[in-house]
Amino acid sequence: MSVYSYFPGCSLKSGATEYDRSFRLVADCFGIGLDELEDWNCCGASPAPHHWGGDLGILLPARNLHIAGASHDGIVAPCAGCFNRLKYAQHELSRNDDLRRRTGQALGQPVHYQTDVLNLVQLLNREIDPEDLARRARGRLSGMTLGTYYGCVLVRPPQIVRYDDPANPVKMEPLLKAAGATIPYFPFKTECCGSYMGLARKEIVLRASRRIIEVALECGVDALVTVCPLCYQNLDLRQRQINDVYGTDYHLPVLYLTQALGLALGFSPEELGIEAHAVNRPPSAL
Amino acid sequence: MIRFPESMSAGAALLAEIERRSGQQVSACYQCGRCTSTCVAAFAFDYPPHTLMRLLQVGMVREVLASRAAQLCLDCMTCSTRCPMEIDVAGVIETAKLVADEAGLKDTERDLRLLRRAFLSNVRRHGRLHEASLLIWFNFRTHNFMNDIKLVPLVLRKKNFHIFPPRIKNRRQMLRIFQEINRGGKG
Repeated sequence: MSVYSYFPGCSLKSGATEYDRSFRLVADCFGIGLDELEDWNCCGASPAPHHWGGDLGILLPARNLHIAGASHDGIVAPCAGCFNRLKYAQHELSRNDDLRRRTGQALGQPVHYQTDVLNLVQLLNREIDPEDLARRARGRLSGMTLGTYYGCVLVRPPQIVRYDDPANPVKMEPLLKAAGATIPYFPFKTECCGSYMGLARKEIVLRASRRIIEVALECGVDALVTVCPLCYQNLDLRQRQINDVYGTDYHLPVLYLTQALGLALGFSPEELGIEAHAVNRPPSAL
Repeated sequence: MIRFPESMSAGAALLAEIERRSGQQVSACYQCGRCTSTCVAAFAFDYPPHTLMRLLQVGMVREVLASRAAQLCLDCMTCSTRCPMEIDVAGVIETAKLVADEAGLKDTERDLRLLRRAFLSNVRRHGRLHEASLLIWFNFRTHNFMNDIKLVPLVLRKKNFHIFPPRIKNRRQMLRIFQEINRGGKG
């Protein structure tokens, strides 16, 4: 059995507890061991790289890489933002001696940063055999049309995250198709949702997220599937704000990939935390 | 109001600094506008992305540093992956943001700066982000008390939701990381 260092990040411990819970349920089903990283800290998210020269955006995630060390089969960060920050730190540390020295100074010992960093889709594709999933899912998601929404930081910048096609990522599809879902053409799968502007400049988020929902509905999508807690927040939690501002009447469910797979494996919407979403009407096929 | 650079040489020096730190060659841009057409935030910018690039090219660097656009860039990197000249446009704008801070140009998008600073002081103290305390603090500072308050009950109904998630144990190490940054940044 493979065991991974699990870096949940702040979101999965506060606003996205259902992502944490559904991830553990799915991992359990397939015998994927998750060992939560001891005393992990915030990855720095969007603000850290903009602070004094930007190095804070490296030193914060570097501490997590260091703690993970060489134990286990790699470190998994389900939050797309955390994944991006860890990969970015790894990339910069590997090519900048001075940064490595300063990081070591702050940590009190030479930094260990070469752990294998995986995002959620990567981990599941590595550990789950689609045929096995198909057998267990027994077509539970058939009749459901799911829009795979990857967002920005899972695939960009491609030379650093080195994951999937930055313009047309497809790696979620084998799993969801094995579970019986239909994946339609959805050209907005890597459009930005408005990022962290929700608090300070709401109009940017509402406009960007509205376009994504609008196009998803035009593509016949029953629910969007994401792996990013911030995208989830903008698309689901703020959907009513979008309706208020634009006079629309959207009720498009937004699921974490692990929730969609959890449904396929027979868990209830309650167990997976779907009923606690802002748009908690289950996708039409259920 | 357009403020012209004090001198062309000052603009050239700032541009050289931005190019060095971002590793990009601004002169390679031929103004096709693709960055602007892909930008989801450009509608809120004072200058669209391709215009920022042009301003840099002609030495009007202070215009870029003081722009709202430099602060509002989401760093979604769509422009960077679609630029036909493979310029990391977002990287150039991000660098401009850092240089603007260091040059003390802090009048634009104060709320956003406040938010970023509050986020980081939160992380410095606790090691992790407390979303709830960030929201309350931000709303008080901006006198926008009802901002996103309607979202709170939606989040509270989630199982296992902790209003105050536990702090990390090694907070001294967190402080050392921030000290190391301040030493490097100001030096």
